[in-house]
Amino acid sequence: MLPSDRRRGVALLLSLSVVMAACSGAGASPSGAPATASAPSPSTAVATPSATPAPAFPVTVTDDEGTAVEVAAEPEKIVSLTPATTEILFAIGAGDRVVATDDGSDYPEQAVSLPDVATFSSVDVEKVVALEPDLVVAGGLGFTPTDAITRLRDLDVPVIVVYAPSVDGVYKDIEMIGTATGTAEAATRLTADMRADIEAVSGAVSSQSPKPRVLYEVGYDATTGAIYAPADDSFVAEMVTLAGADTITTGDPNTYEISLEALIGKDPELIVLGTNPFYSPTPDSVAARPGWDALTAVRNDDIRPVRDIEITRPGPRLPLGLRNLVSVIWPDVTLPAAG
Amino acid sequence: MAAGALPRDLEVHGLAAWVRARPLVVGLAAAAILLLTLVLGVGLGSVRIGPTETIAVILSRTFGLDIGVTWTPATEAIVWELRLPRVLTAMLIGCGLAVAGATFQGLLRNPLADPYVLGTASGAAVGAAIAVLLPIQLVLVEFGLLHGLAFIGALGSAWLVFRLGGKGGAGGLTRLLLTGYAVGSVLAAVLTMAMYVSGVELRQIFSFLLGGLGGSSWLRLLVAAPLILASSLLIMTRGRSLDGMLLGDAAARHLGVDVGRERTILLALASMATAAAVAISGLIGFVGLVVPHVVRLLVGPAAHRVLPISAVAGAALLSAADLGARLVGDVPVGVVMALLGAPFFLVLLHRSRSGYEL
Amino acid sequence: MTAIASTAGPIMAARGVTVGYGGRTVVADAELHIAAGERVALVGPNGAGKSSLLRALTGVLTPRVGEVDLRGQPVERVDRRTLARTVAVVPEVADLPFAMPVEEVVALGRLPHEPPLTGLRPADEAAIDGAIERVGITHLRGRDVRELSMGERQLVFIAVAVAQAAPILVLDEPTAHLDIRHQVDVMELLVELNERDGTTVIAVLHDLALAAHFFPRVVVLAAGRIVADGPPAQTLDAQRIREVFRVDPALVRLPLGAD
Repeated sequence: MLPSDRRRGVALLLSLSVVMAACSGAGASPSGAPATASAPSPSTAVATPSATPAPAFPVTVTDDEGTAVEVAAEPEKIVSLTPATTEILFAIGAGDRVVATDDGSDYPEQAVSLPDVATFSSVDVEKVVALEPDLVVAGGLGFTPTDAITRLRDLDVPVIVVYAPSVDGVYKDIEMIGTATGTAEAATRLTADMRADIEAVSGAVSSQSPKPRVLYEVGYDATTGAIYAPADDSFVAEMVTLAGADTITTGDPNTYEISLEALIGKDPELIVLGTNPFYSPTPDSVAARPGWDALTAVRNDDIRPVRDIEITRPGPRLPLGLRNLVSVIWPDVTLPAAG
Repeated sequence: MAAGALPRDLEVHGLAAWVRARPLVVGLAAAAILLLTLVLGVGLGSVRIGPTETIAVILSRTFGLDIGVTWTPATEAIVWELRLPRVLTAMLIGCGLAVAGATFQGLLRNPLADPYVLGTASGAAVGAAIAVLLPIQLVLVEFGLLHGLAFIGALGSAWLVFRLGGKGGAGGLTRLLLTGYAVGSVLAAVLTMAMYVSGVELRQIFSFLLGGLGGSSWLRLLVAAPLILASSLLIMTRGRSLDGMLLGDAAARHLGVDVGRERTILLALASMATAAAVAISGLIGFVGLVVPHVVRLLVGPAAHRVLPISAVAGAALLSAADLGARLVGDVPVGVVMALLGAPFFLVLLHRSRSGYEL
Repeated sequence: MTAIASTAGPIMAARGVTVGYGGRTVVADAELHIAAGERVALVGPNGAGKSSLLRALTGVLTPRVGEVDLRGQPVERVDRRTLARTVAVVPEVADLPFAMPVEEVVALGRLPHEPPLTGLRPADEAAIDGAIERVGITHLRGRDVRELSMGERQLVFIAVAVAQAAPILVLDEPTAHLDIRHQVDVMELLVELNERDGTTVIAVLHDLALAAHFFPRVVVLAAGRIVADGPPAQTLDAQRIREVFRVDPALVRLPLGAD
C-alpha cells in the first residue's frame, strides 16, 4: 500500500524528530547509550587483525535502548525496519542477507525491490515472522512501534533498536550492527572512512570566517505558517555546524518548530532548503512567504536548495551529505577529494 | 383511550415483531457470527496460511493431536502466538466494553453514555502519557509501565468522578455526568500538555490513544480476561437492579433495590472492565455506545437480555473489525468498526420508527 | 385503636411522627394507625405534608421524632425485599431513557418477588398479565411507554404497583393526569383490590369528591398536622372544607349520606 505524499512528509519529519529530539532527557529509555559488544569468550568480537579470527558468535549487543540482545549465530536473514539501517546494512556488506525492509527504504537500488513489511506507522508482524528472520533492526523512540518490537522479542526474534542523536551515535550504530551481523571489520572500516572524510570536509571550512547564520529549513506548512528547523543539540544541527555555519536552531531540544518572530530575531543570512521528492519548495516560493522579506537571506536572495536525504538520514552517506551542505554554504571553498 | 385499532404506523409489525419476540434467536445469531469471526480471524491475515495447517496447529497446541500435516515454526508462531491471542483479545475487549457501555447507559439513565463517560478515557491516556514520559523502563509480566499506569489512571479517574460527582444519588445523575465531563476535560488538558512537552514520545502516546490490538499476547489476555469476564458476569447477575433503576431512584427503592449500593457496585464493575480493556488495547470507541443500542432495538431493554447479547455482539463486532483492519493493512480498528457498524445502526434506527425508537 | 380479635394491631402505623427536610418541619406529631384491609384517603391543601407523611410511612423518609411501624416492626428494620413485597408504592411517572414496552415496565413490579438469576416465572407472568388487565391497559400492550399520553403512562405505573401484589398499596395522587372516566376507573379498581383481594389501600388524593365517594376513611392534613380522621361525612363536612381548604363547601360535591 503506497503511502500518500503527505504521509511521507510527516514520516520524514517524524524520523527527523526521532533523531533530533533524542537528546532530550524525557525519554522512556536512556538516550545515547553507547553500543557495547561483549562475548562470552575472552576474545572480543570487534575484530582486531589477528592470525586466527576470534569466533564472532554468539554475541550479545547492547542496543540504543539499553537492551542486551543476544545474537546466537551469524544472521542469514535480516529484516531492516528503517531506511537508515537498510543503507548501513548494505554498506557493511550484509545487504545480500537482508530479506525485507520498510517501505521507506529507497537506497541502495537493491533495497527497493525487497518486500516491505512495515510502513511509517506500523509493522506487519505476521509478515516478519513468516520470513523467519534471525535479526531485526528497528528504529528507536517509537519510530518502530514498541508493540511490534515486544511481539517479535516474545517470539525469540533478536531485535536491535537503534537511534542516533549525533554523528558519533551513527558511528556507534554502524559498528553495533556490524558486530551483530558478523561484519565488524567492514563496519569499522566504514566508520573510519566516514570519520576521516567528515573531518576533512569540516576541517576545510572550520577556519572560514565569518560564519554565516544559516537556517536549514526542514519543512514549512503553508496553511499554518509553521516553520520546521533543527532542534537544539540535534543531529541535523550538528551537521549544519560541521558544515561551517552559525546554525540557527529552534532554541529547544524538544521541538523542531520555530516561530516566524523568533526566526526574524535570529535573522538568517542563508536559507538552505532541505529538499526531497515530497518537499521541494522553490526559492521564489520561499521569498514570497508572508513576512519572510524581513530576513536578510530573503532580501539578498540567498536561498539555496540541497538534497536532504544524505544530510538527515543517520547512515553511511553522511559524508556526502556534508559535502553537499558545504558546497551550498561555502560554494567557493575547494573540498578535499572524497576518500 | 379508545380500545381497538392503533394507527398502523405505531404498531410493531412484521420482522421487527418477530425478532423482538425471539431474543434467543438474536443471541444465537450473535454467537454464530462470533464463531465465524473466530474462525476467519485465525485463518486469515496478511500472510497466507492454508486452513489445514491452521487447524493442525490449533489441534496440536490445544489437544496435542497430530493430524499428519506438517507446518513451519513460522506458521505456528503466526497462528498460535499472533493471530489467536489477538482474535481472543478483540473478543474480550469487545465484550467488556459493550457490557460496560450498557451498564453505564442504564445506571446513568442516559442513552448517550459510553464506557468512558466517567473520565476513564482521559484518565487512561494521562496514565499512559506519564508512563511514556517517565525515564523508567519497567516491564512486569509483559505489562509495561504503560499498561499499568493506564489501568490505574482509568480506575483513578472513575473513582475521582464518583467521589466528586455525588455518587449519582442526592446529587443527581446529571451532576455525575457533568462531573465526569469536567474531570475528563481537566485530564485531557493535562494530556495535551504532556503531549506538547513530550516531543517525540508523542508518537507512542498517540498510537496508544488510537487504540489497537497489535500488542496482543497470551499473557496479556490471561491477565486481563479474569478482570473483564468476572466484571461482566457479575454485572449480568445484577441485571434486574439495573432494570429497576430505569424507573428512577425512588421507584427502584420501592421495588426493593438498594439503589446506593447497587449503583456503587455496578459503577465499580463497569469501570474495572473498562479500565482493563483500555489498559491493554488503548481507547477503542463505538462498541460501548452503539452495540447496546443495537441490541436493545432488537430485543428490548431488559437487562437480562441486553447484557449477555451485547457481550456476544460486542465481541463479534470488535473481532470482525480487527480482522478487517488487519486485512486492509494499516487502518486503526476504530475506523473499521465505525464504518462497519454505523451504517447498520442507521438502518436499524430508520426502520424502527414503528414504536421502538431509541 | 381497639384490637379486633383476630388482628394483632395496625398493619401500618405512624406514632407521633415528625418529619422535616433541612431546617423545615413538614409534618408534626402525626398519629395514624391503619388496620389491614382498610381503604384510607389522605387529603389536604398543597404543602400540607401529605406526600411527606406517605414517605415516612413507606420508609423512605426517617422521622425526626416518633416511629413508623410495619406489622408491629419498625419500618427501618424491615429488609428491603420484604418491604417491597409488603408495600407497593405506585412510582412517579418518570421519563425512561430507552424505549420500553408496556408489559416490560409492568414486569418490573415483580422485582421483589423474582429470584435474581432465573427471571420471571409463570406466577410472575400471571401477575403481570393480571395487573395489565385489571388496570385496563391491555390495548396498550406492546406500545412504547414513552409514546403514551400522560394519563396512559399513569395507568401503566399503577399497573406496576398492582403487579407487585403486595398487601399494602400506596398511591400519591394517582389520578393527577387522568380524565374523569379514568379517574373513576382507577377508583373502582382500588375499591376492587381492597374489597375483593383485601389489599390495604392508602391514597393521597387531591380530589375531595373522589376521596369522599370512594374511601370510607378520610384523613385530613393541614399545615403538617392531622386535623381530622374518620368517615368523610365527618371529616369533610362543610366547616372543615371552609377552614382547611378555604373554599366554598358548595364547590365540593360530596355524596349524599356517609360512605
